[in-house]
Amino acid sequence: MKRPFRGPALAGALAVLTVLLLAETVVVKIQTTNLRKEPKFYSQTIASLTAGSPLEKLSSQDGWFKVRTSAGVVGWIHSSAVETKKFNLLAMDKSMKTQASAGEVALAAKGFNKQVEENYKAKHGEANFAAVDRMLQLKISPSDVEAFLRKGKLGEFGGGK
Amino acid sequence: MKAHRYWLIAAAVCVFGAGLTGCSVVQQGAKVLTDTGKLSEKNRDSIIKTSEAVRSTFSEITEQEEYYIGRAVAALILSRYKVYDDGGMTNYVNVLGKAVSYSSDRPETYGGYHFLILDSDEVNALAAPGGFVFVTKGLVKRCKDEEMLASILAHEIGHVSAKHGLASIKKSRLVDAFKILGKEAATRYGSKELAELTGIFENVLGDIVESLVEKGYDRKYEYEADKLAVKFASRTGYDPNGLTRFLKTMTGGPSAGAGKGWFRTHPTAEDRLGKVDSTIRTMAKVPKTLTVRTERFAQSVKGLKP
Repeated sequence: MKRPFRGPALAGALAVLTVLLLAETVVVKIQTTNLRKEPKFYSQTIASLTAGSPLEKLSSQDGWFKVRTSAGVVGWIHSSAVETKKFNLLAMDKSMKTQASAGEVALAAKGFNKQVEENYKAKHGEANFAAVDRMLQLKISPSDVEAFLRKGKLGEFGGGK
Repeated sequence: MKAHRYWLIAAAVCVFGAGLTGCSVVQQGAKVLTDTGKLSEKNRDSIIKTSEAVRSTFSEITEQEEYYIGRAVAALILSRYKVYDDGGMTNYVNVLGKAVSYSSDRPETYGGYHFLILDSDEVNALAAPGGFVFVTKGLVKRCKDEEMLASILAHEIGHVSAKHGLASIKKSRLVDAFKILGKEAATRYGSKELAELTGIFENVLGDIVESLVEKGYDRKYEYEADKLAVKFASRTGYDPNGLTRFLKTMTGGPSAGAGKGWFRTHPTAEDRLGKVDSTIRTMAKVPKTLTVRTERFAQSVKGLKP
């Protein structure tokens, strides 16, 4: 009578355990970036991501990770945009002193930050932060880079890879 | 049989239980990562000890900290040099630099890569941590084709990618900084910590600016950046001999630019040439210089040429 239910229940339980053991979480470590349809920068954007977004790593290829967002969107992100150090969260309560990685600490928002910059700026009028802010306004779209590579027979359009 | 069945069910419950506990711990951990303010006293103490234990070298500086260090270094560079303001040429250098960064080992940084031309006749190129890259008008003038400029930008991207700026910070600064950072869990500091941290920040900037502008990096970092320049430029599809051709313009005794910029802060062009040559010789396939790019370069920088 109970027979039809037990198998699926057990299978489900094992699936949960498997996911827990195998799933690798990576976290976005840069200000903003995009999740892309294919593993290249000028591929179509399918989601916008900001620092701290957790992602489930599914696979990797040539420096890119295939990941799933918490909203369930699957796409590609470059490995340099995420923190990949292991998060030993299961050990959090017991022996955190030895288990917590530099990555976990690194993601806690502290250190040289905006507040420190403002305090520095107040004392150093000579530092030209206005010019730096203008520099940061120089934005190049990935499609401009793609057109540049294509025209110059570079990257996948020529001798590069 | 029946007992066996119960055992199976019990096992399933345990597995589920473990799964659920795991989830809640993971959530707790995520909370720790996103909001340190919600940590229990006990956990906070542990994380402080951990942070002091693990954050001791420049490689533990976070992306965001690197960004703020880079901004301030860039601000100090821009207090010494004026910007050469030619929208078209600046755009060209940015697209070119971005294209090379895509094929680098570190295409993504906290605030991204940005490139500026400095209004100076000295031959110089500098990169602040995190991706603020500068080339002088004098350097662009020396380039005869796109491959040459691409290899210089690739050299600078190499310094950013390998974090040479951060590596030039004296270790004692970091020991001091991490001591304060370990004590403080909040994202805003009290006035005492803020004053201390700002003092350390000043020293950190001093270390980097001294390397970039006055003393130059350790020679091994320059050779490494040359190696990375060959790697990143050729991965993009550029002839890495662009770097060789550029270095050749810097050989042969004292010239007008001697004692300034790259002449002052870098090993001699002769030393670099030998190493770059042997790196290129190990490559299975070397991309060729293409006329279509040389023409595009000439068109883009014609404002600089007499």
